[in-house]
Amino acid sequence: MTTGADLVADAMLEAGIDFVATLPDWNLGRLIERIEKEPRWKQVRLCREEEGVGICAGAYLAGKKPALVMQNGGLMNSVNGLVTTSLQFEIPTLLLIYYAGDINTRFFSTVGHMTEPVLNALGIRYFILREREGVTKIVTGAAVSAWDSRRPVAVLLNRDFLRGEG
Amino acid sequence: MTRFECLKAIAAKVGDALVVCSAGGATTDWYHLRPSEGNFRSRTLGLVSSIGLGLALSLPDRKVIVLDGDGSALMNLCGLPTAAFAAPGNLIHIVFDNRVYESSAASVTATAGPTDLVAVARGAGFPRAVWAGSVDEFARAVTDALAGSQLTFIGVRVELGRPDLPPITMDDVENKYRFVRHIEQLEGRAIFGTSYPDA
Repeated sequence: MTTGADLVADAMLEAGIDFVATLPDWNLGRLIERIEKEPRWKQVRLCREEEGVGICAGAYLAGKKPALVMQNGGLMNSVNGLVTTSLQFEIPTLLLIYYAGDINTRFFSTVGHMTEPVLNALGIRYFILREREGVTKIVTGAAVSAWDSRRPVAVLLNRDFLRGEG
Repeated sequence: MTRFECLKAIAAKVGDALVVCSAGGATTDWYHLRPSEGNFRSRTLGLVSSIGLGLALSLPDRKVIVLDGDGSALMNLCGLPTAAFAAPGNLIHIVFDNRVYESSAASVTATAGPTDLVAVARGAGFPRAVWAGSVDEFARAVTDALAGSQLTFIGVRVELGRPDLPPITMDDVENKYRFVRHIEQLEGRAIFGTSYPDA
């Protein structure tokens, strides 16, 4: 049995991600467990998400393909870094964001309401994973889109998708 | 003691170390004293140390120096435990503490009060964290750190002020390209234009 989180981890490998900065959410537990166990990934454990924007930028300048794994509350914490480091210097990063407050989840509805409007305001393209179909294509496609456009691109991860087994 | 005097004392000693400068006055001083493609200017207050950490972890055989200020370091204090936990031995984090937001109308920072940034770094777990009390002490601390292999934090209390230097005319994106092309040359491998995942 593999969870949606396992599918995301496999797709990150497929996408060539080799450097991952993480800050946990309960629903990211399985994904972060996979990241910790994967020897091909350098993992950095963050204390606050915005520093992850800078760490991923430094890794990119050194030739890595970084991803930042966080909750959507962390996206809100990261906005200045995303604007004045990632976007201003044209630095790609794959943002893997747990979508707290997404449809059919309780709690965090306020941050859920604001997540897509904030990404739209930042001009950050995003894709949403709510189903198990096409995970690899979406994660690898998001990475290609980020690197081709030299901007961060986000994949929003729904709770039932992450935890659901198939 | 001024920041410019300190930077002047190390400009010829850092070799081909990569240097990341804070979004503040240290950048103009440093670009003037050590013109190099191996300099990168950050623009987000606080993130200079994080960019340096990402570089140091990704280039473990190369020295990375972060030139930070007190206002910037205070904005990203949580970056200190993150760096200490990851513990790259090739990262040297220097903070010039003038106790004010020099680039923001010079109102005082928390280090004008009781806050001791070296004590904070030590508490965060930096294996080496020292105050340098003079230009000579500062230069020695930097050369020792460059010769060693220990994650190092160096604080230096400087007076407010910067010399009258022409502004940097390099665009941010230009700085990025030149810095990365420089790393490509140093490392002998391509960074831009490497293979993408298949789409």
